[in-house]
Amino acid sequence: MPTDDPRPIPVRHPVTRRDFLKRAGVATVGMTPLVAAASRARASAETSSPYPDWMPPSPKPPKRGKTLVRASAWDPPVLDPRLTNSVGLFQIASLTSSRLVRYPFSDEAANTTDLTLKGDLAESWQGSPDFRVWTFKLRKGVKWHNVPPLNGRELVAQDIKFCFEAYAKEGVQSFTFQEIEGIETPDKHTVRVHLKMPNTMFPQNLAEPVSVIFPREVLEEDGDLKKRMVGTGPFILKEHTRKVRVVLTRNPDYFDTGRPYIDEYHILSTPDAATRLAAFRSGQSDIHFVASVADAGAILKTTPTAVVQEYKTVQTVFGLALAQDKPPFNDVRVRRAISMAIDRQRQVDTLYGGHGILGWGIPYFYFQDKMPTAAQLGPWWQYKPAEAKKLLAEAGHPNGFESTLFYYEYFPEMTSQVQLVQQDLKRNLNIEIKISKLDYTTFFGRYADGKWDGMAWGFKTGYATGLDEQTYQYMHSKSTKNYWRFADPVIDELVTKLRKTPDRGEQRALTKKVLEREHDQVLRMWMPYDAGFLSWQPYLRNTGSLALRRNDGYGASTLARLWIDK
Amino acid sequence: MYKYVARRLLLSIPVLFLSSLIIFGLMRVMPGDALTALMGESGNVGPKELEKLRKDLGLDQPYYKQYLIWAWQMVSLNPGYSIFTNEPIEVALKKSIPVTLELATLAMIMGLCIAIPVGVLSAIRQDRASDYTGRIVAISGLSMPDFWLGTLVITFAAIWFRWMPPLGYASLWEHPWTNLQQFLLPAAVLGFRLSAATMRMTRSTLLEVLREDYVRTAWAKGLGERIIIYKHALKNALIPVITLVGGQFGTLLAGTVIVETIFALPGMGRLTVEAILFRDYPIVQTNVMLVAITLVTLNLLVDLTYAWLDPRIRYQ
Repeated sequence: MPTDDPRPIPVRHPVTRRDFLKRAGVATVGMTPLVAAASRARASAETSSPYPDWMPPSPKPPKRGKTLVRASAWDPPVLDPRLTNSVGLFQIASLTSSRLVRYPFSDEAANTTDLTLKGDLAESWQGSPDFRVWTFKLRKGVKWHNVPPLNGRELVAQDIKFCFEAYAKEGVQSFTFQEIEGIETPDKHTVRVHLKMPNTMFPQNLAEPVSVIFPREVLEEDGDLKKRMVGTGPFILKEHTRKVRVVLTRNPDYFDTGRPYIDEYHILSTPDAATRLAAFRSGQSDIHFVASVADAGAILKTTPTAVVQEYKTVQTVFGLALAQDKPPFNDVRVRRAISMAIDRQRQVDTLYGGHGILGWGIPYFYFQDKMPTAAQLGPWWQYKPAEAKKLLAEAGHPNGFESTLFYYEYFPEMTSQVQLVQQDLKRNLNIEIKISKLDYTTFFGRYADGKWDGMAWGFKTGYATGLDEQTYQYMHSKSTKNYWRFADPVIDELVTKLRKTPDRGEQRALTKKVLEREHDQVLRMWMPYDAGFLSWQPYLRNTGSLALRRNDGYGASTLARLWIDK
Repeated sequence: MYKYVARRLLLSIPVLFLSSLIIFGLMRVMPGDALTALMGESGNVGPKELEKLRKDLGLDQPYYKQYLIWAWQMVSLNPGYSIFTNEPIEVALKKSIPVTLELATLAMIMGLCIAIPVGVLSAIRQDRASDYTGRIVAISGLSMPDFWLGTLVITFAAIWFRWMPPLGYASLWEHPWTNLQQFLLPAAVLGFRLSAATMRMTRSTLLEVLREDYVRTAWAKGLGERIIIYKHALKNALIPVITLVGGQFGTLLAGTVIVETIFALPGMGRLTVEAILFRDYPIVQTNVMLVAITLVTLNLLVDLTYAWLDPRIRYQ
């Protein structure tokens, strides 16, 4: 389905009282069978997606004006990017603030997996031969938003230095920025970053959606960045009323002259999923995300003019995390046995309507051109219950054992997924698992603390895009993001070597080795996952999402190129 | 009567003190704290940074100190700041209380407008078609949970009429028409549910009163049905109904989180539940105390209403 959908936009006719009563009567009578039909539709969902995963840019000349509205589940508590990496914050910060470099927007990308770095605040950048020094040349004439306390002053190299040093000093970004040894600003528009160790992928880390540049003045005046968000991005934060709305208004002084195209973007806090869907159906919301192919079909049934894009998953972000620094999970045979005893294909078929992936943790395009097949994931990813039982017996657990598993339900399918794993392990290995479903704070506190026993339903952060973030930052034994609690010297060596390798081909080969090692040692037991579908009203142009960059979340910056054709 | 009110107010002090202890204790027993929730899925925070942030937020103080600080804040009517958002709690309450108050009032009005006439009709037409219809409606109201009815209403309104209440809360004073559109459906959902219990109570108490001797005497005197029902019977039958309605109103003010969530209204329910999930101790403690104070006050008001309805009642 092309972005410029030729189907006419339906004309709304006013509903008369007679019509209203007639339809209300029919609606009441029709409720029960409709609800029943909806559940049947889900059960008989097609096994493959009929929706395109790539939306080419609109060939029409863009139009200025109008307001984009989106009902959003996320409601950021504070606006300080040093304190949180939550998607709720970056659905806003990606639009108000810039980074030094960025990944392509949807109208610039060659395909969904195009991750060619583009300049954002930096016009150009260059690494030293040993990749320990990176020099960034800034655009000239970039202005901060014309609101107090910045009042549209020019952005200079000192601002970047201040921001990076503040990130390194405290908060959630400190691990990433603590690899900086020092920063020089030889002139107003040059930033020279000295690293403690060579990193060929350092600019990628600065292109992560969370690496936004914030101003010194707000931090100095307020002591934190919790209430005000001032940046150099395409939109200015006009209103942030928690549990109600965020209003972003066009920045007339944005350095990318002529953009953004829309005048305002309203993000309406809507915690309930059914309400968000109703908002999309009634035309109150322009963009809507659903998790399953059946839900995407249901949207088109009731809103036939909607455009649906399959947001194809390229990696898994959830899986079975084991306390592998303690027995019995410190024995690789136990981990392999567990992995082989889990029927991942059954999860794909039953939970995701045949539409999910089996599960691997590094986006596939970093190590090969096509999605890995089941066979490519290695022997321990195959479902072989008899061999699993034999291996567990060899590891000294012929009669299984008891364990615990805690999780937080990020989405409804997750509970069923956890239960399927519990069933598989009981049936195939006689491993008895006691499941605890926790609220988010309890789950996160316990999981991040890293002192839990047994099993957890693990995750990795949703914003990660770059290869360094996906490998060194998540897998090195010294990293604070290594939630899966593994310390593998081979992985440490490989991911460190990867940072020192500039050649793309060699990087792919090394990444493949990292993946193979990870799978061989079953360091992170990834589980099937499905990314979902984005639907939007037919009058939106340049709306497509890209791999790892959903336009309603961490990839929101691409909305700078969106325009409304009505 | 003044003595009675004074005694009731004095008795409320230990009730509120105990409530404060319970809520303070329960919040501390729950695992996790606001900081871990605030950090989100980052993992980039070392133990030293966490410790520093805990100190900044006063979470490293001994519990008794934290309690005393909070108790003093409550007594001095300055409940402090939200740990999670850093917003003064007073400001958060000023935003959410009017929403809940409006929703609760509208729901009560709608509920009573349905319940009292239907309850009376059911009682005076006992075991006839109108009674059965009223009872079926009441049972339906009791059987249909808010979350189900609310979701259904909003979903089918969007599918059939391409309409739903406008999102993004609008104040009653600034945008009355939008505000009314936003509140009518949720109030109707809540009101329908409330009306069920009230209607059943009205019916059964009125039936009881209608069998009293003084009502029989009134019939014997040849008084008209309207006067007997509305002047003599209903007034007396309303005492248990008032008790029920008082409790319902208290519950509504405590927060109607599900309906507020479905209709995206930023009321007390959402504020409290989010604060519980994120371990925002000061907000939860303040809100629960407010609810406790509201319930104590409402109970007192309900008790005082009895004398107005039935002049034979005396307070000692």
